[in-house]
Amino acid sequence: MASLFKDLSKLSAYRDRRFPGNQEEFEHALLTSTTVYIGNMSFYTTEEQVYELFSRAGEIKKIIMGLDKNTKTPCGFCFVLYYSREDTEDACKYISGTILDDRPIRVDFDWGFQEGRQWGRGRSGGQVRDEYRTDYDPGRGGYGKLVQKELEVQRQLVDYGAGSLGSVPPVIPSSYGRHGGGHGHGGNYRHGRDYHRKRQRDDDRHRTREPSKRTSDHESRRNSDHESRLEKNPRFRESGDSDEDDEDDRKRRD
Amino acid sequence: MSSSWRSLLLRIGDKCPEYGPTSDFKDHIETCFAALRRELDHSEAEILEFLLACAEQLPHKIPLYGTLIGLINLENEDFVKKLVESTQTKFQDALDTGNYNVIRILMRLMTVLMCSKVLQPSSLVVVFEMLLSSAATTVDEEKGNPLWQPCADFFITCILSCLPWGGAELIEQVPEEIERVMVGVEAYLSIRRHISDDGLSFFENDDEIERGPGDKDFLEDLWDKIQVLSTNGWKVESVPRPHLSFEAQLVAGKSHELGPISCPSLPNPPSVPSGIANGKQKHEAELKYPQRIHRLNIFPPSKTEDLQPIDRFVVEEYLLDVLLFFNGSRKECASFMVGLPVPFRYEYLMAETIFSQLLMLPQPPFKPIYYTLVIMDLCKALPGAFPAIVAGAVRALFEKIADLDMECRTRLVLWFSHHLSNFQFIWPWEEWAFVLDLPKWAPQRVFVQEVLEREVRLSYWDKVKQSIENAPGLEELLPPKGGPSLNFGGEDGKENNEHVLSGELNSMVKGKTPVREIISWIDESVFPNNGLEVTLRVVVQTLLNIGSKSFTHLITVLERYGQVIAKVCPDQDKQVMLIAEVSSFWKSNTQMTAIAIDRMMGYRLVSNLAILRWVFSSENIEQFHTSDRPWEILRNAVSKTYNRISDLRKELLSLKKNISSAEEAAKEAKSELDAAELKLTLVDGEPVLGESQFRLNRLKSRAEKAKEEVVSLQESLEAKEALLARAIDENEALFILLYKSFSNVLTERLPEGSEARTLRELKAAQVDVMAVDTEEQPSSIMELDDENQRPQNSETNGGKTSSAYNVGEKEQWCITTLGYVKAFSRQYAAEIWPHIEKIDAEVLTEDAPPLFRSAVYSGLGRSINDA
Repeated sequence: MASLFKDLSKLSAYRDRRFPGNQEEFEHALLTSTTVYIGNMSFYTTEEQVYELFSRAGEIKKIIMGLDKNTKTPCGFCFVLYYSREDTEDACKYISGTILDDRPIRVDFDWGFQEGRQWGRGRSGGQVRDEYRTDYDPGRGGYGKLVQKELEVQRQLVDYGAGSLGSVPPVIPSSYGRHGGGHGHGGNYRHGRDYHRKRQRDDDRHRTREPSKRTSDHESRRNSDHESRLEKNPRFRESGDSDEDDEDDRKRRD
Repeated sequence: MSSSWRSLLLRIGDKCPEYGPTSDFKDHIETCFAALRRELDHSEAEILEFLLACAEQLPHKIPLYGTLIGLINLENEDFVKKLVESTQTKFQDALDTGNYNVIRILMRLMTVLMCSKVLQPSSLVVVFEMLLSSAATTVDEEKGNPLWQPCADFFITCILSCLPWGGAELIEQVPEEIERVMVGVEAYLSIRRHISDDGLSFFENDDEIERGPGDKDFLEDLWDKIQVLSTNGWKVESVPRPHLSFEAQLVAGKSHELGPISCPSLPNPPSVPSGIANGKQKHEAELKYPQRIHRLNIFPPSKTEDLQPIDRFVVEEYLLDVLLFFNGSRKECASFMVGLPVPFRYEYLMAETIFSQLLMLPQPPFKPIYYTLVIMDLCKALPGAFPAIVAGAVRALFEKIADLDMECRTRLVLWFSHHLSNFQFIWPWEEWAFVLDLPKWAPQRVFVQEVLEREVRLSYWDKVKQSIENAPGLEELLPPKGGPSLNFGGEDGKENNEHVLSGELNSMVKGKTPVREIISWIDESVFPNNGLEVTLRVVVQTLLNIGSKSFTHLITVLERYGQVIAKVCPDQDKQVMLIAEVSSFWKSNTQMTAIAIDRMMGYRLVSNLAILRWVFSSENIEQFHTSDRPWEILRNAVSKTYNRISDLRKELLSLKKNISSAEEAAKEAKSELDAAELKLTLVDGEPVLGESQFRLNRLKSRAEKAKEEVVSLQESLEAKEALLARAIDENEALFILLYKSFSNVLTERLPEGSEARTLRELKAAQVDVMAVDTEEQPSSIMELDDENQRPQNSETNGGKTSSAYNVGEKEQWCITTLGYVKAFSRQYAAEIWPHIEKIDAEVLTEDAPPLFRSAVYSGLGRSINDA
């Protein structure tokens, strides 16, 4: 309603360098899009949480979780597609900067989802921002990937003995996602979160390690079903994501 | 270094770098005036436009802008003359289009211009008299159309609303005229009908809940406030009067006059007046001129009534305008909300105003999530005061929750859970642990349960469990922790037949067997040997299970194998079975149940009627008073139906626009062609020049193309219109079935031959008293509590001594269900009115329970006498 304080140029402060078109087309796409990009999410946030929150701005058509291209696990961003433009605008206006899973999330207009954009663009598979971070962020897999690698090297040099890392924050190898984000630290409060659907990563791990825990017939049936879905669902399919460049698509957003 | 005139105009009156350390309005005006004066010669048009935009969108600063314009008037009469003209044009436009916000704000601007000697007082009086006479005519039974009283009331509200800003000046300068206006308003008030909008009140008011002072409606209340104001010598603390500091200069200004302004005439009353026709038109008028605020009294009067009555009105106006114009600008919204130009504190009033919008019926001006955000931002902007006030509001509303309208309750649950999710889920739950001792249908208990349910959806079970650790008993009210429940008749995991079939289907899906092969497998080997029930259970549960991992998995399965489901459930009866199957598969997860059903409706695997029938199946009816689960699903189905209709309407609107511009283009092309042909024939007999021929051909083809374009657009218009007609039929069928279902279940359950005509009587039907003493709850342990909290809290409790809940199960079931009847009727009134004849004939008959009928009537805003 108020035009006085609106800076329209802000709409497109960020320019996705992979957008196939010029600046004008990019702005047009943002002005008409019914897709929002959500950033700074926890790796543990589920689609259903996103659904509950974002459906308060309007009817949702689709949710696409951003996935680590190596592990196929959520890596902290997603797209929500609405049916109407008005709802899309409301999602940006009212949800950006509010808290989801203890984190302030960022909501922006997006020029439109295309196959391939669900994959992290970082070298290690996740988002580029998680490559270079030096802070410890339990909601996003602990340290940044580079720091993790360094720690890994150090750990190989000094044998700490199994599972006794002392006061050193957990070292999480590249398959960090499956470990529930750092046992014994910030991340582990979510251990065993809700139930398997929400905690698919933990789940898979438990299943392979401790098959005896899966007592019921139904359970294991269900889990093997999940595994099959994992291969079948386009969201989880390894697909033509050939980009090796380091361009940070979300630099602005972090 | 000086800031630009734009930012000076924008920021005037604010504590901001543009104006440095001073917050004196006089200094601000002088600084801004000096800057404008320098620019006026070369940026006149820009300044005029921007100044008016500021006044329109920052109405709480209008006195400052008015004084500024007064000062400019001393030096550049011509500029101000243009500004007055421009104001008048905008005002006339707003009147013609019924743009009530602009009407209201421009009247305030004109009033303030009068105070600064820019506008003749008599001009303002002319505007008042015009609106007054329009209003008086409207409510005149003979000459006017009293159905449009909402418009007439609005005009009178506008007149009265100007008085806090310029009452003193008007009385001083044109005492007789203004006296005449006041007499006119009084006369109007004696003719108009008192508004009793029971359907829109927050609380069921046939209760002990005290109503507003002397049961005044909004306009009567405002009139009282203005009366008090006039006896106080028109002194209003909340309205800055910066023109007084410049009075000596301003008197020298030349006052301008307004040109003639006219009120648009209102629609005629229905040619054949009938209860229904009148009701429809009245509803239309109410939609066009909605009441701006329904006052919600949350806090004890001591918190807000040290204000003069008129200050309360003014501050509400300020707050509502900030909410209106700064929707979407978070930072500005919060800072203007907390920084209004008033010399007193108003946090309680601010909270009441925001909650009154959040809960406003039938609809707030913006989505509830907007107010959620504003409340969060204010909690951060005023961390010492606001969180405790919000907590106090929650406690007060929780106290009265049993009387709170069902729609408001739903919004409150959604808001509160969302709010807490942004503040680490911290809440003194132990205060509410007593709800465990209440029966499972007690509204307070249901409220706590639903808040926890939504918290879990926004977060996760363990987190919420942790948040209630100071009231561990409440774990009982948490939703189940479990996931999907795959259940095939057979016990103990024995490999029964259904398991085998499910396994087969599962491997077919895994092996990417084409849909038609799966269908023939079902047709040939499953259905014939196992019958419908087993087939349906195996297919639905297996597919749901494959899609159970996430929302996206569900969608993928439905997209790929929807046809299989459609094949098994081709008609409504089977769709009802399908929904029951979904509900049983997701029995531990209401969110997934709702999502799955919603998506199935989206893919047209189930119809809205099937969903409705399922909602009214016995397993659900039993939960009507204890859970939101069936209602959420019903709400989704109705709103999805409505969304379809409104999308179609929007598409039609834009198609029509396209058609008219295409027709325009076609006409233009045609006339250009005609002109060219005419030119050619003028060259009589002579062979046509090649170039002209070429041009002619081009014009011809263009004209043809334009015509084709029109035709093709018209075709798609027709197609869309057919779709809309179908959607409207579907809607009619939906509401008829909805009302029939409500009527049936209520007829069965309302006390037989009941004399109960009111909810109050219904409540009184049960006398056994559950001894629950809410007064013994520990006083607030809210994290950010302040010393104001406690007395307020105990006052609330003290004021309402017997909050013991003693409504019987059957009675509560009826009360809740009737509450939803009213809520659905009210929310979709505009869609229901067009079908009212049929609904009257088929459902709202003499035999329908009176309480049911009055709930429908109240929701539709229909007078029971109009039937």
